[in-house]
Amino acid sequence: MNATPGHAPVKSIMPKWVRNPQEFVGGIALMAIAVFALWASSDLQGMRGFSFGAGTAPRMFGFLLLGLGALITVVGVVTEGPHLAKYHWRGPFFVTVAILTFAFTIRPMGMIFAAMAAFLIAACGSPETRWTETLIVAVCLTAFCALLFPYALGLPLQLLPTFMIR
Amino acid sequence: MGDIFTNLGLGFGVVFQFVQWTPAFLGGISIPIPVNILLCLIGALVGTLVGVLPGIGTIATVAMLLPITFGLPPVGALIMLAGIYYGAQYGGSTTSILVNIPGEAGSVVTALDGFQMAKKGRAGPALAIAAIGSFFAGCVATVLIALLGAPLTRIALAFGPAEYFSLMVLGLIFAVVLAKGSVLKAIAMIVMGLLLSMVGSDIETGASRMAFNIPELADGLGFATLAMGLFGFAEIIRNLDAGGETDRKLVQEKVSGLMPTRRDLKETTPAILRGTVLGSILGILPGGGAVIASFAAYTLEKKVAKDPSKFGHGEIRGVAAPESANNAAAQTSFIPLLTLGIPPNAVMALMVGAMTIHGIVPGPQVMQKQPDLVWGMIASMWVGNLMLLIINLPLVGIWVRLLRVPYRLMFPSIVVFCCIGIYSVNNAPTDVMIAGAFGLVGYWLIKHDFEPAPLLLGMVLGPLMEENLRRALLISRGDWSVFLTRPLSALLMAIAATLLILAVLPSLRKKRDEVFVESEN
Repeated sequence: MNATPGHAPVKSIMPKWVRNPQEFVGGIALMAIAVFALWASSDLQGMRGFSFGAGTAPRMFGFLLLGLGALITVVGVVTEGPHLAKYHWRGPFFVTVAILTFAFTIRPMGMIFAAMAAFLIAACGSPETRWTETLIVAVCLTAFCALLFPYALGLPLQLLPTFMIR
Repeated sequence: MGDIFTNLGLGFGVVFQFVQWTPAFLGGISIPIPVNILLCLIGALVGTLVGVLPGIGTIATVAMLLPITFGLPPVGALIMLAGIYYGAQYGGSTTSILVNIPGEAGSVVTALDGFQMAKKGRAGPALAIAAIGSFFAGCVATVLIALLGAPLTRIALAFGPAEYFSLMVLGLIFAVVLAKGSVLKAIAMIVMGLLLSMVGSDIETGASRMAFNIPELADGLGFATLAMGLFGFAEIIRNLDAGGETDRKLVQEKVSGLMPTRRDLKETTPAILRGTVLGSILGILPGGGAVIASFAAYTLEKKVAKDPSKFGHGEIRGVAAPESANNAAAQTSFIPLLTLGIPPNAVMALMVGAMTIHGIVPGPQVMQKQPDLVWGMIASMWVGNLMLLIINLPLVGIWVRLLRVPYRLMFPSIVVFCCIGIYSVNNAPTDVMIAGAFGLVGYWLIKHDFEPAPLLLGMVLGPLMEENLRRALLISRGDWSVFLTRPLSALLMAIAATLLILAVLPSLRKKRDEVFVESEN
């Protein structure tokens, strides 16, 4: 799976003593998540005598994750490993924007608009997109979903924008 | 013995239930409709349809299709979901035989010999033998579930909180040991899942935990939401990275001559038998499942073969054994779920999510209180396998055409479909945003070689583990040694500890990696 090239010397932003940047960064991120969780659960009650409080279990798992993150970070220093994987911005960006667009438009604008918009924005995520066929498929899919979810599956979905219903 | 027949009888009664349908336009004439069989058929068909799409694995398929079962009665919904699961499994094999990139991890192995067979114009027999092997394995696994169901439930009822906690620890350790990749990272993922499951209100005190006063988080992170983000959206983003079309080598020849020759059948019969046995065992183990089963079966076939060099060049046994094994494992992994209420792998974790949505708490009580549900599901497994055999072979042509749909059109459709699905669970736009965020998290995890499947398992087991841990300690008055002084619990803990030590020992780790190495050469 790892397509990290061995021949082309990739400029690494990591210091030299980090020999396995993949693990190193992963471990640090896990530690950050653990610290955040510990902070978020710091206002909860801990042990009361021998019975658990609301905060006991979250703190337990938080410290466990902190320890594991630290271990992975150490592994990242002492073992040899691949460079950081290359990230592409185009796919993740447009898919995320599409999802957000759907979330923000589904209530006021209804499913037909939200689905069309999300489809077209998501399609921008691939450089191979050809617009005529994309438009045709977008219309067909929206029509299919508009029939499937509210009618065939009986889920309460509003199809049209709110201002058109009133 | 008599018990089993009564139980299976009850199950088939549920599956073959007819509902009288009296539509107005027929003027009062009622038509009997076998609802559950229809649901099983639709599930298997839709599951195959989505499972065939390259790059979409079993977990993603089940997660994506979860919402379409919400409107059904519980029994029907679970029968349909089980159908979706087998369909997705089989769809994945079809893809891996016809295209070189398999749709799911479990069929990486099938691709090794399956694709080579397809290149030699023997795609038909490869697909047929996969279906026949799967069907045989499915029949055996169904009988096994029926046999083991009742006795295991009886054991489970004797379990106290301490035993339950130890059992879950053992299950998680198994999941780590049998997973691919680093043990340490897999454990970290499980703990992250456990931590995520803590979000929401505390079961005992009702205190809001890590919810930041966001009303949508007060009930905790939705399970379906998380699964669709981590598996649906993340897979899409990852596949976009890979560049879609460039590396898809579809077999161009027409698939003709489905039937395997008599020689094929003679050669594969022992392979199917071995695969079924191995798969059934690995499926029951907590943490086991279809992926490890197919890898192990392939390795075993290569070991027992007289001429191992044939493997990788279109050897039919290299298709038959892993396909039987992964289907057997897919089915026997229902055993821990139905009897103990503990999901052994990520797909079963999704099943728990579906059951909870229908108000069923999985566990030994379900078998006693709702026998129609459990036995109906078990009987439906056999029916589902039969349907796969019947629908898939004639429909191969359609699946092949589906494989030609370009990714650039497929992925926006999946994004939209997932969005609507997530939204329809609670009618909450926030859920869609959370799923989007977890899509990015999942993408990051894949990039850093973290497996998202253990995270999902931790997420489901989290509340159960906390509850049992609390209860066990309350009963023992805060004495932590209770896990080691109760004999059954001590035994489970000892097995877990031994496994963990073995897994980190270098010699055994090499053996384990050897099983997974097949996919790379």
